[in-house]
Formats: sequence, C-alpha cells, structure tokens
Amino acid sequence: MNSMIIIGNSGNRRTTGLQAARARLGLPPALVLDYIDVLQGNASFSSVAQNLGQTLDEPPLLRLDAPGEHFEVERELIVLGSPDTANTHISEIDERWIRYNKSVVQPISVKMAKGLQEVKGKLYHPSQWFRGYCKLLSRLDREAAQLWNKPRWMNAPEDIAAMFDKRYTHQLLSAAGLPVPRRLAAPEAIPDYDTLRDAMAKKRIYRLFIKLAAGSGACGVIAYQVNPVTGAESAVTTIGVENYLRRPPLFYNVKKLMHYKEPQDIRRIINWVLRHGAHVEQWIPKASYQERTFDIRQLVVAGKACHSIARVSRTPITNLHLDSARMSLEGVGLTDNLQATVRQCAEQTLSVFPRSTVAGIDVLLSSGSYRPYVLDVNPFGDLLYHSHYEGHDPYEWEMRMASHSTTI
Amino acid sequence: MSELKLSVDYDQYESGVKIVELIEELAGKDESLQLESLIIGDWGGAYENDSSEIVEALVRLKDRFPQLRSLFIGDMSYEECEVSWINQSNIGPILSAYPDLRSLTIKGSTDLSLVPAQHDKLEELTIICGGLGKDVITSISEGSFKNLKKLELYLGVEDYGFDATLADVLQLIEPGKFPLLTYLGLKDSQIQDEIAIAVANAPIVDQLHTLDLSMGTLTDTGAEALINSEKIMKLKKLDLNYHYMSDEMMNRWKQSGLNVDISDQQDSDEDEDYRYPSLTE
Repeated sequence: MNSMIIIGNSGNRRTTGLQAARARLGLPPALVLDYIDVLQGNASFSSVAQNLGQTLDEPPLLRLDAPGEHFEVERELIVLGSPDTANTHISEIDERWIRYNKSVVQPISVKMAKGLQEVKGKLYHPSQWFRGYCKLLSRLDREAAQLWNKPRWMNAPEDIAAMFDKRYTHQLLSAAGLPVPRRLAAPEAIPDYDTLRDAMAKKRIYRLFIKLAAGSGACGVIAYQVNPVTGAESAVTTIGVENYLRRPPLFYNVKKLMHYKEPQDIRRIINWVLRHGAHVEQWIPKASYQERTFDIRQLVVAGKACHSIARVSRTPITNLHLDSARMSLEGVGLTDNLQATVRQCAEQTLSVFPRSTVAGIDVLLSSGSYRPYVLDVNPFGDLLYHSHYEGHDPYEWEMRMASHSTTI
Repeated sequence: MSELKLSVDYDQYESGVKIVELIEELAGKDESLQLESLIIGDWGGAYENDSSEIVEALVRLKDRFPQLRSLFIGDMSYEECEVSWINQSNIGPILSAYPDLRSLTIKGSTDLSLVPAQHDKLEELTIICGGLGKDVITSISEGSFKNLKKLELYLGVEDYGFDATLADVLQLIEPGKFPLLTYLGLKDSQIQDEIAIAVANAPIVDQLHTLDLSMGTLTDTGAEALINSEKIMKLKKLDLNYHYMSDEMMNRWKQSGLNVDISDQQDSDEDEDYRYPSLTE
C-alpha cells in the first residue's frame, strides 16, 4: 500500500527532498523512473512495476514531478515535439492534450533538436518543448492505465497538461467562476506585437502581464506597460536577448530582472513570446508591505490549504528569489480573515482539477480592496523551503496525507 | 492624529469610481471636520489622468477640512503606477487654500508645478519623484516658506525630468532662505557627488540636525568632502543610505563617530555610466 513511483529527475532537490521525507516517516523509498530513461526508451512503468514485484490490484502511488533543470530531458522533449518525430511509444492519440499552437511556429526537426547543445539559461524552443511534454504525459497516462485498473496519480497527467498551460488554466478558472485577472484577448487574436498593441488601445488597457503559456516560475514573464500619454513603453522581464547580425537573436533566462525601454527591444521580445504562445492578462496592482508588494504561494494538498508563503518584492515579478523576500502571511500583516480568504480561494482553485491532489496556487490580493485573484496554478509548486504546516515540510505533509487519505 | 487614505483601486477604477466623488463623499461627512491628515493614493489611471481634479476639489471643499494639517498627493506603489508616469498638476492652489497646513508630500513630477510657492506655516515639504524639474526647484527657491523645518527633494535623473543645474539646486540653500530648516534632503540624484561637495561646507549645514543625501550616486569623491567638513561632523544625523562608496570609505565613516547611515552599498566597481540613483525604476 505504501509503494510509490516518482517520475522525475533522480538526484535533484525535489526527488531527494521527497525521499528524505519518506525516510523520516518510516516509508520505503519511492522508486524513481527517470524522465531521461523513459524518453530514451530505457525504462518504463512495466520495468519499474516488475521491480516492485506487485500485484495489479495494489497500485503504487504515482507522482509526476517537474522535468526541468535537466538539459538532456529538455532536448529529448523538444525532439518528441518535432513534427517529424518517430517514436514507437507515441501514437496520434498522444496529441490529445495539445490545445493551442497545434502547428508549432518555426519547428525544429528531430535531427536539429538532437543536435542542440547546452547553453546555460538559453530558452531553446518553449512551444515545441511543451508539445513534447504533452505527448509524454499522454503516453504515461495510457501506460499506467494498461498496468493498473485504477492508477493512483497524485496529479493526473491530463490535469498537469492543463495546469501547465496558462491559457487553458485561465479558461478553466474563469468558467468555474474563480477570480482571475481579465484576459486581454484570446491567444489567437494576439499573435504578435502589433495586434497586441491594437487590442490594448481598443480596450484601453495599458498595463499587462504577458506570460509564456508553458513557462514555470518567472520564466518567460513580462510585466509590460504603455504610457498612453507619452507613448513610452516599459517591459520588466526575466528574458534576456542577444542580437546577432547574421542569425536570429538568442533569448535566454536571466536571474536578475531586465528593464527594457527601447521599443525595438520590447517588440522583439514580445513577438518571440507571443509566437511561442502566451497568456496575456491585466496587471492588477498587488497589495503592499512597507515599500514592497507581495503575492502568496498557497499550497493545497488533498483539497486542504496548508503551507503558504508571501513573496515580498520591489519588482513586479515576485517569483525570483533575487530582490524578493519570503515571509509568513502574518509577517506581512494579513488578518485571519484575509488568510482564510486566500486559503479558500486556493482550495476552490484546486477543486477545478478534481483528479489532482497537490498544487501551489499563486494568489494576489489587490492593492486597496485586498480582493483575491488567482495568478497561476503550479502542479509542481510544492518545492518550498523553510515552510512548515503543523510541524511538517510540504513533502512530509503530502506523504502523510497520502497514507491517511482515501482521496489520494 | 486622525488620518485617512482615499484611493481608487483596480476594482473600483474598473467599475467607474472617481476619486473626486470619494473626496466629495468624505467632505459630506462630519468626519471631515476633524480630519488632520489626508492621503490621496492612486486616483485611477494616474498614468493618463492628472491630479488637477483633486486639487480643484480640495480647494473647492476647503471649508470642510478645517483641521487638515498634513496632505499627501500621490501615495502609490510602482504596482499602481511608475513614479515617473504619475501625472501631477499645479499644487500651488492647495497652499493658498489651506493656510494652516503643516506638511505636504507630493509623489510624481510629470507636469508638476507649485505656483504660488508661498506658505507661512508649512513645516514639511517632500517631493518624491524620478526627476524633479528646474521650474519646481526654482519655484521653491524663489518662493516663501518662512516656517519650513524639513525640505526633502528627490532630484532624480534627466530621463525622468531633472533638467536643473547644480547652481539651480544650490539656490535652495542660500543663507536665510529657510531660517528654521533643520532637515535638508537633496537626494536620489544623478549628481549626488557634486551636491555633496557643494553642501559640505555650506552655511546652511550649521542650522541642520539632519542632512539627507541618500539614494543617489554618491561615491568616495563626494564622501571625501563630507567627511573632511567640520560642519558635517556636528550634524545629529547624516543619511547616505544607498550609495557607491568603497569599503574603505565606509570604514572611515564607522570610525568617524558620526551618526551616519551607510547601509545599502551598491556595486562601486561598476562603470560610471551604470550608476543610477535608487528611485529611477
């Protein structure tokens, strides 16, 4: 009953953190199915299940973890997302969860993708990567269903595909009546900078967040604003760009926020993000704590809000550890009522994904009225350091809930 | 002190709430008669709507705020509006309409003016901005604030409206201009070194308890003039927080015995072109 399989990158801080939590609770270590082995055909659920030596009516707990921070995995996912990919494990049905960008812009072939070299921080091909990841999620879902009657996913692969796409998440949350910042326009209506500016002028919305559809954390996020009086533009982002004379610019992820004011730079970056698929929504001013502003990462496990942190920052993008502090909700002066509001909002958000039991929900409280808005749903949003709930870190709490609760 | 903040937040702006209506609503209540401190926050779309309607309303309703002593126009975070994008207007009429005001704070300098710059009782004047225009600086230096005890000006950078020369700034500290002044802040400046050098031995320092040269591009050059000044060493407090001084200079300050704030050291190895004051976004 206590067996578990993690699909992740072994040795990273997520996998080791979870194994350590299991050891502290006296649970046997989870078996780790490495993304890279699955992608290269060296391992699968069946090979791992054989190791477990289990009967089919005792399905292990299945946890998908973040595939990031591993170049070879990223490269293999881009290969899998190639239009000319030929993979015996993948069938046409595995495109079922690709909802936008059905034909990837400027796709790169399997051959080119396989030849990608690691460049620290480089944003290789986000839309093709996401296409590959959606296919892999679908494949894993099918394989688990073949092995076990009722696979015990902590988060169902289909939900992860949905949560990972900020466009689709926004659509689901809006439909469920949750408070979300207003979307500027449907993604199809703003394929590039010029259409974006038209939509802004038409709707008289001058301050926006432009988010790469499938980016994690602060990756590919732009806080963009236009001054309607002077025409001045401002873009604060984690995207760095290197321009070349004879080849296309290189976009990369920076640790320190960039602040662009040159229209030419801004146009180039926004065009790149919109082409790869982006969600564009209104920038709602966040509540302040002293001279800084904050939003909240609220973890929800098995339907119940647990660990939370306020991310306090001098910049519009609070995800970054640089220039931003982690504080408790009491620390930033939130009343019990407001904390309850945040918890409730986060719990309702996770309930939109009924086959998922863990997510980090990012919630802002608006400046002035302290009204909650859901900013993001992170299926792998449980990597929170120095955060405890009823004496347990997030991984311990999840494992406890998994052994006690019937819903996981 | 009874204090109140009025602002139009995101949700209210979306639903069409107007700041002038909030001011009128407040003025309609008895509460206004006792109010001592009023803070006007984001008035909604401050990047496109200026503060003139607020000034007009406060002037028109001045009889409803007989106890008002402190006024802040434009208290908003960068989340609400970049400081250099806040559209202000002529705040001068407020000074005329509220002769008992003691403290005035203004955030944002775009289209800001202060005419007439005259007030017999005002004790504190603070302007927070990314770049203060020469016309506002000149208005203050040529104006009349007999009772001013604290003057705090963010001078900022050229890109955001600072178009004065050092000489224009120094007019503010000519002897006898503000006889009661004890707190002088000439801060957040791209010419912080020049200001430090000029102020270090200026007669006005004798009457100050606090000199605030924080948030600017101060380096060892300006600091050297300050640390060698006997006048400076007699201050109760010297505020140099956010600076580009060297570790060596910081050690000298630590040993100086003066109450000096040297926190928030910036990377002083950076090229001169990459040194910015703090509040420049």
